[in-house]
Amino acid sequence: MKIAVCIKQVPARDWHPRLNESGSWIREQDAAFEMNEPDAYALEESLRLKEKHGGEVIVCSAGPARVAQVLREALARGADRAIHVEGEGFSGADAFVVAGALAAAMKEERFDLVLTGLQSDDQGSAQTGVILAEALGMPHATIIMEVQASETGLRIKRELEGGWFQWISMPLPALLTIQSGINQLRYATLKGIMAAKKKEIRRVEVPAAAAPRQRIAALYAPEKSKKTQMIDGAPAAAAKELVRRLREEARVI
Amino acid sequence: MILVVAEHRDGKLNRATWEAVAAGQALAGGQAGSNLSILVLGANVRGIAAELSAAEAQGVITIDSVVLEPYTADGFTAALAQAIGELKPATVILPHTYQTRDFAPKLASRLDRALITDVTALKTTGGVTAFVRPMFQGKLTADVVPEGDTPHFVTVQVGSFRADAAARGAAPAPVRALAVAIDASAIRQKPEAPFQEARQAVDLSQAERIVAVGRGIKEQEKIPVAQQLADALGAELAASRPICDAGWLPMARQVGSSGQTVAPKLYLALGISGAIQHLVGMKGSQTIAAINKDPDAPIFEVADYGIVGDLFELVPALVDALKE
Amino acid sequence: MRYWALWALLIVAVGAFAMQIAARMRLIAAAPGRFSSNQSGARLQRFLFDVILQRRTIRERPIAGAAHALVFWGFAAFAGYTSIEFLYGLGLADVTASPWFHVYRLGLAPFAGAVLAGILYLLVRRAIVRPPGLGDHVSAESVVIALFITTLMITFLLGFRLDERTIAGRVNWWAHMLVVLAFMALIPASKHLHLVLSPMTVFLKSPELGRVRNLDFEKEEVGLEAVKDLEKKTVLDAFTCVECGRCQDNCPAWGAGKALNPKTLILQTREALLAGTRDRKLGELYTEEVLWQCTTCGACENQCPVGIEHLPMIIGARRGLVSNGEAPEYLGAMYNHLERRRNIWGLGYDQRQKFVTSAALETFDPARHDVLVWLGCAGAFEADFQKSLRSLFEILRAKNVRFGVLGKEQCTGDPAKRTGNEYMFQELANANIEELKKAGPKTILTSCPHCVKTIGEDYRRFGYEVEIVHSSVFVAGLMRDAPAAKHPAAASAGAVTFHDPCYLGRYAGKSDEPRELISMFGDEIREPVRNGDNPFCCGAGGGLLFADKEEEPGSRISDVRFTQLQATGAGTVVTACPFCTIMLKGAQASAPAGGGEGIQFVDLMTFVNGRLKKDAAAG
Repeated sequence: MKIAVCIKQVPARDWHPRLNESGSWIREQDAAFEMNEPDAYALEESLRLKEKHGGEVIVCSAGPARVAQVLREALARGADRAIHVEGEGFSGADAFVVAGALAAAMKEERFDLVLTGLQSDDQGSAQTGVILAEALGMPHATIIMEVQASETGLRIKRELEGGWFQWISMPLPALLTIQSGINQLRYATLKGIMAAKKKEIRRVEVPAAAAPRQRIAALYAPEKSKKTQMIDGAPAAAAKELVRRLREEARVI
Repeated sequence: MILVVAEHRDGKLNRATWEAVAAGQALAGGQAGSNLSILVLGANVRGIAAELSAAEAQGVITIDSVVLEPYTADGFTAALAQAIGELKPATVILPHTYQTRDFAPKLASRLDRALITDVTALKTTGGVTAFVRPMFQGKLTADVVPEGDTPHFVTVQVGSFRADAAARGAAPAPVRALAVAIDASAIRQKPEAPFQEARQAVDLSQAERIVAVGRGIKEQEKIPVAQQLADALGAELAASRPICDAGWLPMARQVGSSGQTVAPKLYLALGISGAIQHLVGMKGSQTIAAINKDPDAPIFEVADYGIVGDLFELVPALVDALKE
Repeated sequence: MRYWALWALLIVAVGAFAMQIAARMRLIAAAPGRFSSNQSGARLQRFLFDVILQRRTIRERPIAGAAHALVFWGFAAFAGYTSIEFLYGLGLADVTASPWFHVYRLGLAPFAGAVLAGILYLLVRRAIVRPPGLGDHVSAESVVIALFITTLMITFLLGFRLDERTIAGRVNWWAHMLVVLAFMALIPASKHLHLVLSPMTVFLKSPELGRVRNLDFEKEEVGLEAVKDLEKKTVLDAFTCVECGRCQDNCPAWGAGKALNPKTLILQTREALLAGTRDRKLGELYTEEVLWQCTTCGACENQCPVGIEHLPMIIGARRGLVSNGEAPEYLGAMYNHLERRRNIWGLGYDQRQKFVTSAALETFDPARHDVLVWLGCAGAFEADFQKSLRSLFEILRAKNVRFGVLGKEQCTGDPAKRTGNEYMFQELANANIEELKKAGPKTILTSCPHCVKTIGEDYRRFGYEVEIVHSSVFVAGLMRDAPAAKHPAAASAGAVTFHDPCYLGRYAGKSDEPRELISMFGDEIREPVRNGDNPFCCGAGGGLLFADKEEEPGSRISDVRFTQLQATGAGTVVTACPFCTIMLKGAQASAPAGGGEGIQFVDLMTFVNGRLKKDAAAG
């Protein structure tokens, strides 16, 4: 199977974002970057499928030069080669722009299967994978928990809300967006890291960029603070207050 | 006009649809001369449509076709693309559910139009509406403006708009059917019936809410107290290591570095001190609430809400408060 | 007649000896790696104490050790005698009639008596008493050797009585020579090869406990994967093992009923080397399960009287597994945490900042601060240990020690190094060294003994040298100079016991300072079994902090240690390592009801600070 995994390089999860001067995006100079976590699970899934069915795994990413770091990481974990759609304009770009660029670079390869994470840790729009499927003319399914592949096609388990699931059959080629936590991520082994140095990262020119479909007018920190709110009072009153806050503030019940 | 797309399954309307209606009405209210219609698609949707006609809206539009049952991304995209081509709304609003996430980007991209997802609020200034959405895992908030021609697609975060804020009309809105031609053979997804996971395997990692007990529960006989709260919340019961070591709860319910790692929406820690090996297993929880007798317990460092007190008094009080 | 027969027999015996030695030498020569010989002063000192004076042999098992010492010294004393008799027997030189030889023989007589006493004691111990350390079956070879030595001594003593010209005398003489030759032929294939090798292995053993060299990634080194990768010192060690079982007796994993047995590992190594199965995977030879049970406490290496280094072998084999992605799941998770968040917990850096801010810590500046305090993973993120650090800060401030912390601290890499993830270790080490060089401290102070070892010794291999001292040593130094060193214990409740952390008591050799501090306040200190420089591990090291112990045989190491501490009857256990505290408190929480619940765990700094404040309050 020829499997593509689209990965995104995002600012590290525990890095506190600082805004740039115009307030339209973050200050990238201070940020530490890492592989988008759902994409890491997609990569792991692709490696497992390769181990089971044979073939090759090609990782693709659109972004500035720094993106090579996550591509190398993916190669160290076991991907065979990488495609880097390089361009400065991809930082903070919307899903249409990114998916369009990826599609142009990936079309000729004729992948059997394309995996992406279900959404990115930075913008979190959850669109790129699905738009990419449309651009590549592939059927797709999202929030996938399990993948079974055979010659005739795929049978995948999709997560629905509230503890419900659904199996779907689809022909290949197809695109899947993968849910986080569906497997145990492997760490990059020493041998993998050494081997990665010799693997190919093909740089692709940015094709005429698709017109952006949205604009960030303002970016700012929300008012909510991360301090622990201690609730005092007699048990009955405190309990009521906690329930109220969980219901209305945190919105978890 | 503003078009709200409804969601339903097995003949039941998803509550999030009313939230989308509320959002749509808010948007319409901010735009002079705007009006709201609701679209529902599927098979045999007449009953749902009738329910929806209670809303304050210009009308309810149905697309009724056996090809649209069960839901498939290909089917819905094809149907909606045609419908939107005919109806020509300015904005299409959908609830940001798993189902919407499955087809909305495809639909927007097929029509080559903007889609802004996971919106929590609207901000209209000088006739321009910006859609407010979280970024960077909620650390930042963005005001996003769609670009390009209408229609613009917007999905609203479940729980951001209040379903009961959706205005009901004085009289039922008229329902009309819209005919679309869908090629069944072009639908590439073949879904089976949805199912719930078998109950024997406890998978805390999938739980949306967890009530966890620690040594503060004191005795095995007291665990049902926590179970009651878990039931009232629709939560899974979990425990810190000493409870599982003692055999009071099975190992599958242990949360921590040598047990499960969980990231539920709500983690309610009862009588758990918050030793680091436990914290490591639940730090990813969206909201953490803790009850402990010891005000210095480390769990309060990571909790969003905390109550210092006797859990045997507080837990029954919580169960009562939840009943209301 | 006697000459030629003796020549013939000698040639046969020497031939047999040489052939077997050669086979082993070939294996050593074929092994990769180099012997280390740095710090020859320290090595010679150890040679003097451990080989000549038999220190390590006697210390762990006093009576058996003394018996062995007698046999050894006797053996050494007899060297001259045996040589002279051979020279005579071979017709090369005859000084047997000389007066000084006569004096020499008389002087040897008490040695012979001592050797007899020693060897008979050891024989009885091995064949009749049969302690567990010696294995579950009596080694025939050991009995034979013991009988040989007995025969040698008896024939020697009989030599005073029997005239050589009589038949009995000649038989006696020949018996002695034949036994010597038989002994020689037997040495290489038996554990008595240590007679030849142990002086070498003791000298070649690194002065640093648990020394594991860096992997050279430029040369694409990945660690030990198969038997052929075992390095020279390990091969030498395998042949020098005397099978005494001291390592096994002191191993906490074995002591907790697990499968790991350091002696078995060495003997398996020897067997595989001699069998010539060079491509056999180490993970299969030792079994992977066993390799992951090691806490790297170092008891095995520390107790070995012949200088065997177990840790480079175990950690080397772990590296081989990790390089191939075969680390157990809980370690995979830990590595992901280290990679993404640079700490073992996977917690965000802002949590460390919260602590730094709330404890009002300054960023280290060599112009303004005397010492740099290294917080470590536990210090940065673990609420309990942070209380201990706050106590330390109070003590430092009270004594006007100006201190600061590093702005960007990452995990020292200790858990990565000890579990065999050398790549992760070097990444972390290099990043930390860069920051430390920029900060430029002369002295680093930390409360985590693992950090002491890693920064103090492992970082040196990257060329970074700095003085790093554990808080117990530093504070003991501060308090020693105080005018009134003795502070009366202000109403201390019950006795106190101290659990020596492996990386402090054994690795750093510091077990006096914590006791010095505790006794300053007049508390009664009770000692648990296994203390000082040979503590019983708490079970956290070697990545076992995160292990899923439910599936393992035997008990948890931490449970065993907790029971030992409980047995002292002390109401308070003082600790000096964040991980010891985590493990022992965990063991307390999981212990069956009855006795252990009331025990208070207090970190040493919290203890000292608490007592100081009580004192101040008392007036």
